[in-house]
Amino acid sequence: MSSEPEVVIRTRHLSKAYRIYANEQQWMKQVLFGSWRTYYRSFWALKDISFEVRRGESVGILGRNGCGKSTLLQIVCGMIRPTKGEVWVNGRIAPVLALGGTFDAESTGRQNVLIGGAVLGLKRQEVLDRMDSIADFASIGDFINQPVKLYSAGMRVRLAFAICAHIDPEILVVDEALSVGDAAFQRKCMDWIDNFRKRGTLLFVSHSSAEVVRLCDHALWIDDGRVREQGDTANVARAYSRALRVERDDMKRFSAV
Amino acid sequence: MPLLHIVDGKVVAKKKRTILARFAAFLCDPFVSTWRHRDLVDAILRRELAERFKGSVAGWVWAITAPLLSLIVYTVAFAGGPVSLPGGGKSGSNFDYALFIFGGLIAFNLFTEMAYRAPSLLHEYAHFIKQTIFPAEMLPIISTLRATFYATIGLALMLVAQFALTGTLHLTVLLLPLWFVPFVAFLIGLTWMLSAAGAFTRDTAYLMMTVAPLLMFATPVFFSTDTFSPTLKLIFYVNVLTGFIEVLRYLVVFGQLPNLWVCVWVVVCALVTFYFGFWFFGKQRDSIADVI
Repeated sequence: MSSEPEVVIRTRHLSKAYRIYANEQQWMKQVLFGSWRTYYRSFWALKDISFEVRRGESVGILGRNGCGKSTLLQIVCGMIRPTKGEVWVNGRIAPVLALGGTFDAESTGRQNVLIGGAVLGLKRQEVLDRMDSIADFASIGDFINQPVKLYSAGMRVRLAFAICAHIDPEILVVDEALSVGDAAFQRKCMDWIDNFRKRGTLLFVSHSSAEVVRLCDHALWIDDGRVREQGDTANVARAYSRALRVERDDMKRFSAV
Repeated sequence: MPLLHIVDGKVVAKKKRTILARFAAFLCDPFVSTWRHRDLVDAILRRELAERFKGSVAGWVWAITAPLLSLIVYTVAFAGGPVSLPGGGKSGSNFDYALFIFGGLIAFNLFTEMAYRAPSLLHEYAHFIKQTIFPAEMLPIISTLRATFYATIGLALMLVAQFALTGTLHLTVLLLPLWFVPFVAFLIGLTWMLSAAGAFTRDTAYLMMTVAPLLMFATPVFFSTDTFSPTLKLIFYVNVLTGFIEVLRYLVVFGQLPNLWVCVWVVVCALVTFYFGFWFFGKQRDSIADVI
């Protein structure tokens, strides 16, 4: 036995294909006659991803839009099933994906905190106990009692992150969450994440290498659904930044094969 | 024990079990799952209940006004209408027909509310399903419970009206919970099926919008099947709603015990729908996040 901490996330040859149908009729045909013929094209969002995360590590996942970062996180969190390969997770995961996306526009901030807390696995009483602290962290003043439809984008993110900061996960998954808040709030979140790193495991997704360098000790660069480079954060981030300067922003990457 | 372990798209079974044990686990699964997510169910149910009359000044008054108004209208319009007791005797009250229709409509409206909403249910909660670790199989339970809550208001009004208009409340009313549980189970199973199918294609919603109003005439809401020939009666019973509505009327309006075979048929249908719906939803749920 080695003295290294145990593995909490492991993926081996992980691949994910989405079925792309030309139209609804093709889908219907697939349902009816799928055993004999294939009526869809496969879009491989992830191809052969293998990596490991150990307890207490912070791993950054870098990549451009549409490279499969979010798909990878969704698989690790158990929201979608991989098509091929193995994923193994041991620990309570809290996803902070697309913060505030689940807010109900008609309900007040407070009601949304109750639902958000429940979705992240808190008991009602626990959320109520932490309500003041959450409002304090978000610091959006009296707006917490107003419907979320009146919020600015920044206020939504503040409230959403405040909820996430008050649950106690073993593994925290953050997906480009901080890009909307102002500098002062971003610093507050970064400080909180720094603090979290002392006790938990972090999976941090971004297309900005600066944030990853600041928060993570390992990095994984995903390009077109494959791991292009992984290892020490500084090296991966440098290679990623260099590639971004050279490579054109072509649309061919998004086409299904 | 890992929380998540998937190889080639399949969850790796925690331990090997016999077929019998797996079947027993399947039967317990809906209840175990609901209990495990009870805080989430509670939070979303509260929101759903509050949502219905959000933005209105009168709020909850509407929940009582709507069934009350329709009850008054039926009472005025159908007082002394044609209803005969199942035994062939004449009923003692002029208001039986109004209550007879009202009871039928409570059950039928509850059914149509779920039939209309179920196909778009998962789309409503797409953000939750795609962005959080969310037990989507709880949504049909939550939405059915919400609709049931409003139906209960109607049912309570019916009992009050029954007492106020005819002066008696039959003892068989105490058996109502035994009617309610299978009916809710039937609706939850139906919602599981319709919502899973609706996640894939919007046609499910259009189908229900077309079929449900027609179904009203294939269901004895305004008439009774008692005068029909035995063959026609059997055909009507294929529509499970017929059984549910008749049992409800026997218990509340007529104050008699319903036919045992009708009860058995209704309970069997409810169980089959419930578990088939749960199985169907479970089979589709992994592809739902991909398509929604």
